[in-house]
Formats: sequence, structure tokens, C-alpha cells
Amino acid sequence: MKAPWKAMGLLLLSVVTIPAWATEIRLEKIRVSADLSALERGAETVVTMCLGCHGLKYMKYRDLGKLGIAQDKVDALRAGQALDAPLLSQMPADVALQSFGIVPPDLSLIAKARAGGASYVYSFLLGFHVNAQGIPDNRVFPGTKMPDILGVSSADDAQRAELQGRALDAASFLAWVADPRAEERRNMGKYVIAYLVVLTVLLYLVKRRVWARLK
Amino acid sequence: MLNKTIAWIDQRFPLTSFVKHELTEYPTPRNLSYWWNFGFLAGFVLVLQIATGIFLAMHYKADINLAFDSIQHIMREVNYGWLLRYLHSTGASAFFVVIYVHMARTLYYGSYRAPRELLWWTGQMLLLLLMASAFMGYLLPWGQMSYWGAQVITNLFRATPFIGDQVVIWLRGDFAVGDATLTRFFALHYLFPFLILGAVVIHLVALHTVKSSNPSGINLAAKDNIPFHPYFTAKDFFGLGVYLIVFCVFVFFLPDTFIEPANNIPANPMQTPPHIVPEWYFLPFYAILRAIPDMFGGVVAMALSILIFAVMPFIDRSNIPGGARYRPVYRIMFYAFIADVLVLGYVGAQPPTGFAVPLGQVATFIYFAMFLLLPFISKKEEQWLRARGLPPALQELFEQRSPRQKWNNGEGGK
Amino acid sequence: MADGDTLNDPERRDFLTKATTAVGVAGAAAACWPFVSSMNPSVDVLTKATTEADLSGIAAGEVRTVSWQGKPVFIMRRTEQQIAAMQASKGGFDPEDDQKRVQQPQWLVVVGLCTHLGCVPTRGDSGWLCPCHGSVYDDSGRVTRGPAPKNLEVPPYQFVAADKIVIG
Repeated sequence: MKAPWKAMGLLLLSVVTIPAWATEIRLEKIRVSADLSALERGAETVVTMCLGCHGLKYMKYRDLGKLGIAQDKVDALRAGQALDAPLLSQMPADVALQSFGIVPPDLSLIAKARAGGASYVYSFLLGFHVNAQGIPDNRVFPGTKMPDILGVSSADDAQRAELQGRALDAASFLAWVADPRAEERRNMGKYVIAYLVVLTVLLYLVKRRVWARLK
Repeated sequence: MLNKTIAWIDQRFPLTSFVKHELTEYPTPRNLSYWWNFGFLAGFVLVLQIATGIFLAMHYKADINLAFDSIQHIMREVNYGWLLRYLHSTGASAFFVVIYVHMARTLYYGSYRAPRELLWWTGQMLLLLLMASAFMGYLLPWGQMSYWGAQVITNLFRATPFIGDQVVIWLRGDFAVGDATLTRFFALHYLFPFLILGAVVIHLVALHTVKSSNPSGINLAAKDNIPFHPYFTAKDFFGLGVYLIVFCVFVFFLPDTFIEPANNIPANPMQTPPHIVPEWYFLPFYAILRAIPDMFGGVVAMALSILIFAVMPFIDRSNIPGGARYRPVYRIMFYAFIADVLVLGYVGAQPPTGFAVPLGQVATFIYFAMFLLLPFISKKEEQWLRARGLPPALQELFEQRSPRQKWNNGEGGK
Repeated sequence: MADGDTLNDPERRDFLTKATTAVGVAGAAAACWPFVSSMNPSVDVLTKATTEADLSGIAAGEVRTVSWQGKPVFIMRRTEQQIAAMQASKGGFDPEDDQKRVQQPQWLVVVGLCTHLGCVPTRGDSGWLCPCHGSVYDDSGRVTRGPAPKNLEVPPYQFVAADKIVIG
């Protein structure tokens, strides 16, 4: 009775994938860089350009060292703050409310909190443009209160290429911030799956031998 | 040394005899397929959920100002906290996969039929307890989806006649989902799995009284049973190995599959996310809820869609034993029902606009129609099958004086 | 029913079954480790290892208590007489030179938990007395009367300025 299984499988697959193609916004798909220098550059970009309004409250300066960033670079970034201090926004919430009408969201989990993940962050950073009414806006999140921090809408082609690199680094760093144990997790996963495959094969052989006793 | 200790215990406690009777020598039909592994798997998932849950509870803070942060603390700072969390979140979804397959097996093979009605109903009780536990557990991370999912579902109790508003406030402990709600949901979420544990024991007692059914649906003769150990212990452990591989692929490589992006945003009572979606395992019932335009009607339909399974032993009126094996019409109905549930699941995930609305209503209608039609279809099918001529295995059964099998497994024909 | 066909029969316990059981048990044991480890102090607790203590404003002969890793630390500015007295003696049950217990003789920094069962000793005219079971410590934090077995612990610390130390 193979046909019903195929049909059910197809139906199940379509149900699972449909939410993925439900987003109407076209995102530029990126592959997050795990390269340390990219993450370092991303950290620098984010700390120097984003912390003015956004916080990264679940990150501490000490954690940047754990990522692999050299101590002197971490010291430069934290500018006198304690190692154990969280990366908080430099703009107090009430000032932000006055200036923007909204408190800029904390970025610790932004790479997980949007459908599309790091691709969303990347596309958003590069999505700034001046719309038909001459008002700055964003293709990925129309009506955003955030200014065009990278200067994308006024960039020429050469500059845009450089900005794409910076956006990729920043998105990669933010992806790491959202899931700092990802590498450790995947590493452990390889060993766990390998072990389980070995164990399951052994269990199968035992099962076969046991059942061979019948008849 | 060990034997002496066991002998000492055996004089005071039926340890060896119990293990022998209920596990080692327990008679099991030799033709059970892998679809019979899922009860054991459900037990394993329950134990893992309880273990991970208790260790998570050592770090979780059930306070609206601390809950979200405590989860980040677990994910980032507690040793292997990320692993505990992902085991628990993936385990919740895994639990429902296992239980739904377990239920599907029971429906397909007609294992709910006499004398296994109580087994079916205790299973239903377990499903309700599991759904309640999952619903309460989902509030605990205090994300946007947690909060608004709880807000919407607790609102449904407003449909209670006369005292609806008070019931909702009583449930929440506040006018909206808040700190009081979170604290009590944590307390109850910790409690319910132990109620489930107790209900599992009752479920197993019921099982051991009537013994397992089998794929043919016909009770086997005693000689066609084999001892549970080593045959089914070996088979169950092998099945567990396969399950763990799939499970761990999700835990280690796809852990955020079952975590809604919006739940990575702390709950904001002032702002509803654009698209509220329950966890996947509630989607079909959510679709049925929304299919009825009237609030009270929707709640009744949703409750009925879960509770209606209880009548299965009565509405299946065929005298052909078992489930789909010898009953082609029943088999088609089964597949149609599964397809319908999948469609409902899809509808539940969509915003309630456009073509999803009539699709959901049609699918809801079909869902209930299946139950309503089964009494007639099962009887008609039996007549048709008998006129056509029954296969030999069934023929013998009908030549016996009482075709309606009331016997337990192992007390069947020759 | 198949006769007596169980794995409890020792002769039937073949190598494959033994090996599989061993592999399975090893995995189950390894799987317990994350649970056990999760109860150990988390990363943030372990990094709360250092505390800055300001020494200004402590008069000669005065003791200030600060918190380090959740424990009390006695910081005492010792007078000339106290220093001389401590350097002259070797303590009590747990003989130790006073010079080994201080970096600068006028500053004594010791963990304020009795080495018997962990109560916080109270300051007397000289030395400390533990109210729980009567242990006595001198002005170098050395135990002179039991039941405490050891001198008060000297935590790791360093002077980052003339009037500031970092403990831990």
C-alpha cells in the first residue's frame, strides 16, 4: 500500500513548507559567516554604530572575548566599562521614545525574532531607500522609525558593495549573539548522532538475532 | 549476593513475580508491527520531559519581569542549559508526534473496540492532560506568542454560559494574562506530568487486563503469543534508537524549528503580533474553533472535536473484527480523515481570510461527518463484505457461535 | 509460547548482546552528565569572582567587612602594636607566620567564615570569636582556640592602588 503513504508524505511536506513561503517580503538570502575576522568586524560595526540606540543586553563584554576577539580589541570596544557589564544601549528609553516615538528593540535575539533570521537583518540594513514621496523608508520593514544608519540610500555602486560586506559582517555577528552556543551544539550533535547510529545498528542486530529464535 | 537480596525482597514484596508476569513473560501477539512501538516511545518522551523539566525548573523564574531573562540565562550561561531547553522544547513536539501516531494506529487497527474501550478512554484522558500541560508550558517563556496564545485561549472560556466572564478572570487570576497567570501555570505545568504518570499506570493496567490487539484485529490463540521479553524489549529499544536519531537531528541541528520567531520577543501586553499561531499540534483544533462564526459554537465544536473520539467504540458497528485490514471502506475513511486533519492543520496556520475560511469550514464539516456517518457506513460495509465472501480467516470466526469478539487476546480461535 | 527463551539465560547472553548493552549503558551514563553539570555554578556566577574594595576611611584598628562571591571578607587596618604582636607569635593550632598571611603588614584581608562550620565570627577587642561553637581567631586570623581546625582563609587579592584592592 505505497500510494497512500506517498500522498500523505506530500501533503505533510506541503503543510510544513507553506508557512515558509508565506512571507511576502523578498529577502536576500545570505549565508552567515562563521569566520572570526568577519565576526570581529561585525562586532565592531554593531558596537560602534548600533549601540547608540539599541541594546545587546544579553551580551557581556567578557563574552566578546569568548568569541575569540583579542583582549585589546575588547578593551577598546568597552571603553572603560567593566568586563562583566552588559552591552546596553547608550540612549535612555525615555529619550528614545521622544526622538523616535518607539524604544529601539534590543538586538540580542533579532536574528531569531524575525522570519528569515540573519537574511532579514541583512536585507533590512540594505533595504533603506527614499520612497516616491521623498521620505526615507525601508523595503523590508516599511514605516520603520530607524534612520538609514549605513547610508545605503545615497550609496553609489562601489560604496554599496562595501556596505554589503559590512551588513553581512553585522548580520553574522548578530546571528552569533542570538545563538552563541551554535558551534558547540553542532559539534556535540555530530558525536551524538554518530553514537546513536552505531547503537541503533547494534540494537537492530540484537533484535534480528532475538527474533530469529522464533520458528 | 544479588540473588539473595532479591530472594529476601520476594518474601516481602512481589518483585520477581510482578516483573515476570507483567513484563518478562507477558504474552504479546507475535504479529505486532512497528506501529506498536509508539506507546513505549511515548513513555520514554514523558520521562525525558520530566527530567529536563525538573532541571530547567532549577533555573527558571516564574515572574513576568524575570521569566524571559531566565530563559536567556539558561540558554547562555547555565552549563548545558541550551541542551536542556532544546531537549524540552523539541520533546514537547516529539511527544505530540508520537501520541498522534499512537492514536492513528489505534484508529486504523480498530484497537479501540470491545473489550478495549476503557483502554481507549484512559488514552483520551492522557491526551487531554498532555494538551493542558503543553498549553500551560507554552506560556512560561513569556514571549509574544506565549502571551497572546494564552490570552486568546483563556478568552475562550468566556463562552461558559452565565458565568463566562468570572471564569476567565478566575482562570487568569487577573483581568488579563499576567503575573498571577504565569505563576499558577508554572505550578500546574510542574504538577500535570505527574498526573500523566499516574494516568499512564492506569492505562497500562487496562492494557494488561485485555492484552494488546494486533494488526489482524482478530484475537490470536494463546499459542500465537510470545513473551514480551526479549522479543518486544529488543524491538522497542531498536525503535527507540531510530526515534533518538531523528529527535537528536532536530535538537542539535534544527532546534528552532518549533520555536516561533515571535517568541524571541518579550511579551508585550500592549501589542499583538500580526499573526497569532498556536503550536503545530493544536492547529487542527484551532482551525475548527475558527470555522464556526459564533464564539460559543466555535468553542463547543473545538471541544467536541477532541471529545468525540470517545464514542468510537459505539459508532463502529461492524461485526468484522479489527480495523482497516479486512475493511477497505473503513480504510478509505481513515486515510480521508487523516488528510482532512492535515488540511485543518494547514488552515489553522493561515490568517482567517480568503480561501482559508471556506476551506476550513468544509474540512470541519467533513471531520464531524466522518463520525456521524461511521455507524451507517460500517454496517453497510459489513453487509457488502459478507455478500462478497469473507476471507478464510474471518470465515472461521463467523462460524463460531459468537462472532462479536468479547474475548481477550490469547483466548481466540485455534 | 516459546520455551524459556529469555536473555536471563547466561549461556545465551552472547557477545553481540553484551556489546550492545555496554554501548547503550555507556551512552545513558554520558547522557546524565549535562543534567549533573547544569547544577554546577553557571558562567555568570563563576565570573562574579572579583570585587573591588576601597581601603580609604578605615581607621587604624578598625575592621571593614565587604562581600566577595557572596562571602564576607574582613579587611582590617592593623596598628603598630597589633602588627608587632602578630609577627611575634606563630598563632595556635595551625601555626603560620603573620608575614605569610599579609601582603602589606598593616592590611589584613581574610575571609570572614569560621573554618569549623562556616558561621561569621564577631569582632572582639582583639581578634574574633565565633558565636556558634566558640572558636577564637587572633588579629592575623589564625585560630587560637577550637573547634575550628584551620586559620581564616586568605583570599587572592592585589593592590591596584594605595587604597584599593581587588579581591579574587
